[in-house]
Amino acid sequence: MSVATAVTPDLSVDLAPRNPRELVLRNPVIPASGCFGYGTEYGHFVDVEQLGAFVSKGITPLPRSGNAMPRIAETPAGMLNAIGLQNPGLNAFIKKYPPIWERWDVPAIVNVSAESLEDFAMMARALDDVPGVAALEINISCPNINAGGFCFGWDAQMSADVTRVVREATTLPMIVKLSPGAVDVIEIAQAVESEGADAVSLINTLVGMQIDTRRRKPVLANNTGGLSGPAVKPVAVRMVYQVAAAVGIPVIGLGGINGLNDALEFFMAGASAIQLGTAIFTDPTILLRLVDELSEWLVQNGCGKLSDIVGVANPRFSPPKGPDLDLFAEMSV
Amino acid sequence: MTAHTPTSTERPTPKGATRIFTGVITHTEPTMGDSSLITFTAPEHVVQMARPGQFVDITVREQGAYDPLLRRPISIYRADKERAELTILVRPFGRGSRWLVSQPTGTQLNVLGPLGNAFEIAPKSRNLLMVAGGVGAAPLLMLAEEAITRGLSVTYLMGAANESTLLPAAALRDEIEYVVATDDGSRGHKGFVTDLVPDYLQWADQIFTCGPTPMFHSLRNTILAHRSTERFPNVQVSVERTMACALGACLGCVVETTSGMQTSCVDGPVFDMQKVVWS
Repeated sequence: MSVATAVTPDLSVDLAPRNPRELVLRNPVIPASGCFGYGTEYGHFVDVEQLGAFVSKGITPLPRSGNAMPRIAETPAGMLNAIGLQNPGLNAFIKKYPPIWERWDVPAIVNVSAESLEDFAMMARALDDVPGVAALEINISCPNINAGGFCFGWDAQMSADVTRVVREATTLPMIVKLSPGAVDVIEIAQAVESEGADAVSLINTLVGMQIDTRRRKPVLANNTGGLSGPAVKPVAVRMVYQVAAAVGIPVIGLGGINGLNDALEFFMAGASAIQLGTAIFTDPTILLRLVDELSEWLVQNGCGKLSDIVGVANPRFSPPKGPDLDLFAEMSV
Repeated sequence: MTAHTPTSTERPTPKGATRIFTGVITHTEPTMGDSSLITFTAPEHVVQMARPGQFVDITVREQGAYDPLLRRPISIYRADKERAELTILVRPFGRGSRWLVSQPTGTQLNVLGPLGNAFEIAPKSRNLLMVAGGVGAAPLLMLAEEAITRGLSVTYLMGAANESTLLPAAALRDEIEYVVATDDGSRGHKGFVTDLVPDYLQWADQIFTCGPTPMFHSLRNTILAHRSTERFPNVQVSVERTMACALGACLGCVVETTSGMQTSCVDGPVFDMQKVVWS
């Protein structure tokens, strides 16, 4: 294979290499949960079939009307959001969106949120064989719902428990979305890897607050919200770097990516794929432009495939391993 | 629940470029105190599409900068089909709007639009009442012009802090009856614009309003207190919300309605006053 003469570099990536159901993407660019609706909203701006995949808005067992307004606030080079997982609930969701996605040639990843292990398992079971659903992203890190004040993703044991019950309920490729609020994100990542996660995505938003000094109270009705945008990028790159060196499953990097150079930082830190969120709000055309720019950059830099640069800035990084037959052999799903 | 119509949910043709464009500022003009009318070029089909009540979403920073991060949704004030230009009315009250009003002629703006729904004039309506507060005057001006073109009668009520922050009478066509209220009484009625409404309640077939939220509450209370029949008139309210995506995806700009949470960017910004839950 002649790498130097490659005209169209190979951007494809398997985000679930140890899962027989695999999750192969034509390129590594994915709109993040909550920032792309259900894939239909951006139809006039983005050809979804040219994306690597997309992640749906977070789904919960029952319908949620979300938090009171205001739900968003602009911050220096970023924004806070506290939407509160407004969604139609699992049953209405299954009826409405997967039948649309089934006709699209792009993997649709469903972001799943719940407040108990039973509910996580129930949702995973319900989605296991729904045509049009390619994978699950397990949200153990939403900062905006009040579940007794805790977040599964801040605790290694709870993160492991959620991963285990979902793994027992479905053979679908499972991405676990990690919280930057954990004391030790490496410990969480290793815990979910050992319980059968196929990949991890990080980071979710950082919990923040902004105060309206004229009204003398927090801007957001929820008081706190999740910080995203360029402001969080260095935190995200650092965490991706740490996690990519500590696990053997693919890492999906996100947090403040706003252009080619940002994307390259995440790949070089060890991300196999990336997600974009806030950047889509400010420029809906960024997703597909980034695919083109990435391809061009790889050609210009003599790389035949994306994996040539994954982890190159991270000495302790080793590429994700192949199929784990033991993990799935004992499953009866 | 109605079944899905495949036409609306099929993967839409990615006519990506159709509603995102670079507009070049051709003209800026101070008006209403410290506000500005900013006119910029737009593709012909965009200008043709634009309807009263719709908005554009504009990037308010230099290319390559990250701050202020979010686009700003701004109502369309005028769509000039012959010149292929859009005009917006901007009051500099925050960092984004201050950036916008300080841009010289020739500046390239990154614009998304037209977005949102629009005011709807009912087929049988003859007499239209507009109730404007501050820069809420913009979409109602475009609506009033369209109504006059269609041969309808328009009364345009406007409230502002003082005479200098009112929409200048010259901005409105002669056929429009223009009645004003100011907080300090420097022009017209001294008090709220909604004080003027009772005189027109019987006359108006429809009411259209845009301005600050307290004005909507006041308008609703005025109508409830003064309406001559049990029936609440058709009042169309254009709300203002902070937006992130402006395309119905992020759910950051919702309005609580009798049929649940609705986005002000796609389902709105125009809502039936009776369908909004006024807390």
